[in-house]
Amino acid sequence: MKSLKLLGLASALLMSSVSFGAADTITLESGKDINMVLLPKFLGILVFDQANDGAQEAHKELKNPGELLFVGPTPENSVAGQIEIMTTSATQGQGAVMLSNNAGDQIVPSAKAAQAAGTKIVTWDSPIPSGEGEDVFVAQVDFGSIGTVMADMAHSLLDGSGQMAVLSATPDASNQNAWIAAMKEALKGDKYAKIELVDVVYGNDQAEVSYNRALALVDKYPDLGVIMSPTTVGIQAAAKAMQDEGLCDQVKVSGLGLPAEMLSYTLNGCAPEFTLWDFRDLGYLTYYTAYGVASGQLKGEIGETFTAGRMGDYTIEEDPGRPGSKRILMGPFTIYNKDNVEAAAK
Amino acid sequence: MNILKQLKSWEGILLAALIVIIVVNSILTPQFLTLSNQINLFSLSIEKIIVALIMTFIIINAEIDLSVGSMMGLSACVFGWMFLNGVPVWLACLLAIGVGGLGGALNGYFISKLGLPSLVVTLATLIGFRGLARVFVEDRGITDFPEWFDNLGQQGFIGSIPFAMIFFVILFIFLYVILQKSGFGRKTYIIGTNRDVADFTGIDTGRHKLLLFIGSGMIAACAGLLYAARLGAVRGDAALGFELDIITIVLLGGVSIFGGTGNLIGTLLAILIVLNLRNGMALMNITGHIQTGVIGILLIISVIAPNINISKFFGKRQKTS
Repeated sequence: MKSLKLLGLASALLMSSVSFGAADTITLESGKDINMVLLPKFLGILVFDQANDGAQEAHKELKNPGELLFVGPTPENSVAGQIEIMTTSATQGQGAVMLSNNAGDQIVPSAKAAQAAGTKIVTWDSPIPSGEGEDVFVAQVDFGSIGTVMADMAHSLLDGSGQMAVLSATPDASNQNAWIAAMKEALKGDKYAKIELVDVVYGNDQAEVSYNRALALVDKYPDLGVIMSPTTVGIQAAAKAMQDEGLCDQVKVSGLGLPAEMLSYTLNGCAPEFTLWDFRDLGYLTYYTAYGVASGQLKGEIGETFTAGRMGDYTIEEDPGRPGSKRILMGPFTIYNKDNVEAAAK
Repeated sequence: MNILKQLKSWEGILLAALIVIIVVNSILTPQFLTLSNQINLFSLSIEKIIVALIMTFIIINAEIDLSVGSMMGLSACVFGWMFLNGVPVWLACLLAIGVGGLGGALNGYFISKLGLPSLVVTLATLIGFRGLARVFVEDRGITDFPEWFDNLGQQGFIGSIPFAMIFFVILFIFLYVILQKSGFGRKTYIIGTNRDVADFTGIDTGRHKLLLFIGSGMIAACAGLLYAARLGAVRGDAALGFELDIITIVLLGGVSIFGGTGNLIGTLLAILIVLNLRNGMALMNITGHIQTGVIGILLIISVIAPNINISKFFGKRQKTS
């Protein structure tokens, strides 16, 4: 009899543990009062405004009575400004900071201090390279696959052989650095044997600097065939530079661009092909993640699955590009060309 | 000491403004008066306010040093480059400070021996030092310094007070004594008031200026190293544009851009005003361009106000009306 009871108890325990172990999808309870900060690389960039729109949408949906702030530094003061806002957020006792990191590992001391003060750090768009001081990274795209996509776009624009150069954002932008590294890795494949990456330069995500850097590239490498710019500011500036100088037949521009900003350059052949994902969705998913972690409904552990509103279910996994760090992969991305850019630009 | 006279002075106005800012901040933001916030408030700008102390000497001496921001960057980059090439960290620090002294001597040589205006010389070295800094580290960041070096900038040294703050306090006391109590300090004022007169009285004005610029270079180099330690990283654009914030503080402190007047108490009050104002705005979530704008207005007021004779200004207006 006793043993039968024990057996029953054991089986009940077993069943309950089975139901726990079967990675239940967590539905976030709305209405928790959490103050949050959305901290972009800097203010005045369209894609970051779109991310804010998405975060605000999620903020309303989850009926968070707390405050969602969209604060950022000025472009020329990005690193010091992000550190200052991170420090201030910790002092204010914010529930979560959602960071698109532009300070490399220089942000780590202040991010760790914020965590120690109870603030959750969810990165999006651009992670903390070492993963220190970060609870989870919401990746817009698999960083490895975007490298292959850029290599493929270069391959098709160069018809398989020629010179390409990269016009990136800032030297400390960890997302761009990771993508360039992934592209270099992809370029080692046999398919790309005749493509030569001649230079990587930085336009600091400022239109004028990027414009001048693009022209300098053409001067320096007369045989250059493609400028690959993994930033929406750089690709637009480079396309404008090639258009203004009448170089579009010779040098094609590609990379990551916003359809609305790239429409004319795609139609006139200066930038026939580029790619991007939806920043509104990225802001939305980031908000759901940060809300879940800051309200304690998500532990931020590998294997947790939760429902992010209209976007569906997502799972926290190990970041393949940064062992030991955690990420949520958003995906997918769209490759734009003259066939689909007009519809997307509307 | 006549309190009424003190209050009417520029320092009195600064003190009153500071009290208003602190009271308003304390009322509007509950976190303002916490110890950790007060330490953060200093830490976030500590490198600039260290350089503002020596800049006070330079401007009282009727000169200017625009190259301090670039020198901070250069010292950090030289340090980072030597670290990468296996030089022990303590030695790399000393050598970087040495580079600061050399750069300052270069400025001082052109200004005191060749008689060129400091505005021109230090504008040139602002560009030159920055270019050199970028040559050393190129387009990359140097990180992974030894933990003790990073901790120096990021952790409390005595209790929760970071090393840089203690450095600032000691430097302030040291420079205060020199400027306000020593012959060197008096010479700084005399040369700043009228260099020709100073020359006639037998002061070696060239040597004096040379020493000031060497001091400026070395202190800027120290500040650059502290900046590297605080961020745990070095980049070619480290401390870019800092010279303007530094000069803003000194001018706000009542040091005349024409030389000869001002003191370190004024600079200290201006430091406290700027830091408290910035911190208060940040805690109220006013960031970015608006913050820059408010500090800009402050500078406009601070440059104009001490140069206007208020009674004369109002007197004229009364006549016309």
